[in-house]
Amino acid sequence: MDTKDTSTHLTGHGSEWRDAGLSSEQAQRATSWVEAHVDKRSMLTNKDRVEDVRDIMWQLEKDGEIVVHRVRDEHKPKMVKTLYGWDKKIPTTQLWHHKSCGQCGNIPGYPTSLLWLMNKMEIKYLDETDQTSCTAWNYHGSGIGNVESLAAVFLRNFHQAYVSARAQGLPDGYFYPLVHCGTSFGNYKEIRGYLLKSAELRERVTKILGKLDRLVDGKLLIPEEIVHYSEWLHVMRDEIHNHQEIDCSNIRSTIHPACHVYKMVPEDAIYDDDVLGGNRVAVSTGLMDTLGTQVIDYSTWYDCCGFGFRHIISEREFTRSFAIDRKVRVAVEEAHADVMVGHDTGCITTLDKNQWIGKADGKDVELPIIADCQFAALVCGAHPYKIVQLHWHASPVEALMEKLGIDWKTAKTEFEAYLKEVEAGKQENLYDPRLMITSGPGFKKIANVS
Amino acid sequence: MHSAGTRVQDHIGDPFSEEPILPREKLEEVFNDIQSDLRYDHELNGCLNCGICTATCPAAHYYDFSPREIVQLLWTENLEGIYDAMQEKIWSCAQCYTCAARCPFGNSPGSLIMIMRETAIKHSMESAQEVLRPFSRVMLKLISTGNQLAPDMITPDHFPDWGPNISKVDAPLKLLRKAIPMPTLNTTETAWEVNLKTSVELYTIWEMTGVLDQLETIDENLFDVISDIMDEKREDYEDWLEDQEDEDDD
Repeated sequence: MDTKDTSTHLTGHGSEWRDAGLSSEQAQRATSWVEAHVDKRSMLTNKDRVEDVRDIMWQLEKDGEIVVHRVRDEHKPKMVKTLYGWDKKIPTTQLWHHKSCGQCGNIPGYPTSLLWLMNKMEIKYLDETDQTSCTAWNYHGSGIGNVESLAAVFLRNFHQAYVSARAQGLPDGYFYPLVHCGTSFGNYKEIRGYLLKSAELRERVTKILGKLDRLVDGKLLIPEEIVHYSEWLHVMRDEIHNHQEIDCSNIRSTIHPACHVYKMVPEDAIYDDDVLGGNRVAVSTGLMDTLGTQVIDYSTWYDCCGFGFRHIISEREFTRSFAIDRKVRVAVEEAHADVMVGHDTGCITTLDKNQWIGKADGKDVELPIIADCQFAALVCGAHPYKIVQLHWHASPVEALMEKLGIDWKTAKTEFEAYLKEVEAGKQENLYDPRLMITSGPGFKKIANVS
Repeated sequence: MHSAGTRVQDHIGDPFSEEPILPREKLEEVFNDIQSDLRYDHELNGCLNCGICTATCPAAHYYDFSPREIVQLLWTENLEGIYDAMQEKIWSCAQCYTCAARCPFGNSPGSLIMIMRETAIKHSMESAQEVLRPFSRVMLKLISTGNQLAPDMITPDHFPDWGPNISKVDAPLKLLRKAIPMPTLNTTETAWEVNLKTSVELYTIWEMTGVLDQLETIDENLFDVISDIMDEKREDYEDWLEDQEDEDDD
């Protein structure tokens, strides 16, 4: 009997491609090697010509071409190992929040949970109005923009982080930027590489940064490390665990790692031999493990979410098909997950918002989707609505809260009552609102900043 | 007559005719623009057609698209094929960079595609204009404010497929935003409050890097609207600077 597998049809291989006509058994045998190696760390490391761009950076500073914004001792850094075993310094305090437009616009519980955790651990930080989007979502989706504009935006925002403490009478470099969005993180790292390797690009953007009065001693300011918030969570996971109030050992969690966090400039992503045998990027998985959840592996772990940058805006047929078929359904049916945890803006949006439409195609799968910092805040006792802002999530986060023993109905009623207080101007904030304007219109000097 | 032909015939010319629709010079001009990008040599190092990029590509599951094919076209300098791919295929890529992470040669098909997309815009290709039409709202927001996404853009009208639970608490958007305990986020028209000075700085970047020229090529009306908004913002900022000087003098 011919057992040729005709269930899938592959496209995009060019006109010269011919089906090999293998049976299912033969196909299985042919791909067994790939399956044994796929998704493993060696898939990313088996390359020539790998270089640490920080070596170029130090040389350029030595040659007097650039100034490096250092992670100093005052930032209380913790060391981690990256893909090739290189060291990376993660600052843990005096952090400048480089916000994400997708998180702040659509999933506000993402940054509020992070700031709440920082308050809990008495971490110093600044959240201010003098910051733009990285503009990379738009660039990757539309092609409007270019390497020069992306570089100028990167350097402008990071320069602002460098000088922002002046408003509080503190020295330059006091705050170190912490990037919230995975795409900003990947894009900035990629752009830093181009800047360090191309004198032509440096010359072009120096003119722009000069016009904006954003050079340091007439030179470009390059950050020593580009740090994602998930990396901060990773190095702080034990301290977060110390604040944990809710046991979550009954939770089966799946991780969706973000492409732009670990596939873009992969050599800078954190790997830890104690996290999934060091075969997968450590952030989020390490945290969920430390918090005591059962982290469940699944076969499409490596896949993207389907966001697509352009597709989420104008071609969601692709986005929703990929999100449901390759991620959500696999996590539900294969891993029997209670939650899928991510660490990037677009992934959380895509996986959370695109479940409802699945019903139209008989794909009625439901899975709570939240960010790692939201989960951490929740089990450390943050209010599910006032702080974690779970009402913005379309996926069934209520089921997760019930499994964690959180009375979400009461919490929701409390939040609805709180809205009346907000209406009356009695809102609660995570920090002193006077700090959010550091220069330009609206800025007022504050005599005593606590 | 090209009605039953391929896209190559539609966009480049009939292979049986001695008169190509598109002159060779044009194809070379397009390729030169791609090749002269400072990233090109960094992202294309060779290709043995192993196909690991396509095997792992999410877009290849759903579209007639293959990163391997794109890399091969560039590597072999197949000018007709490159031009043809720019009519549709390059817009399928989801920009996940899985291809780049896995390529044994260290190629980045995703980055090469970005160079091709930029070039498609520069040459005002119909594909670029069509693909970018739904982006007007995003572009307007990003270029004029410095924020790509804003809460007032996430409405059931624009996202009917996201279902009824865009917010599970029934209250006005403005109130829900005010209840977010980060003061920078108490906004509805931008994701966070962006300082006027910041928007003006970003606009200078757009101007000096040719991004506004790109925009004008693709959508002249949108370019005019954005120019008006930004001129006004610049005037407001200059007025503020003058007020500051007056205050300092006093």
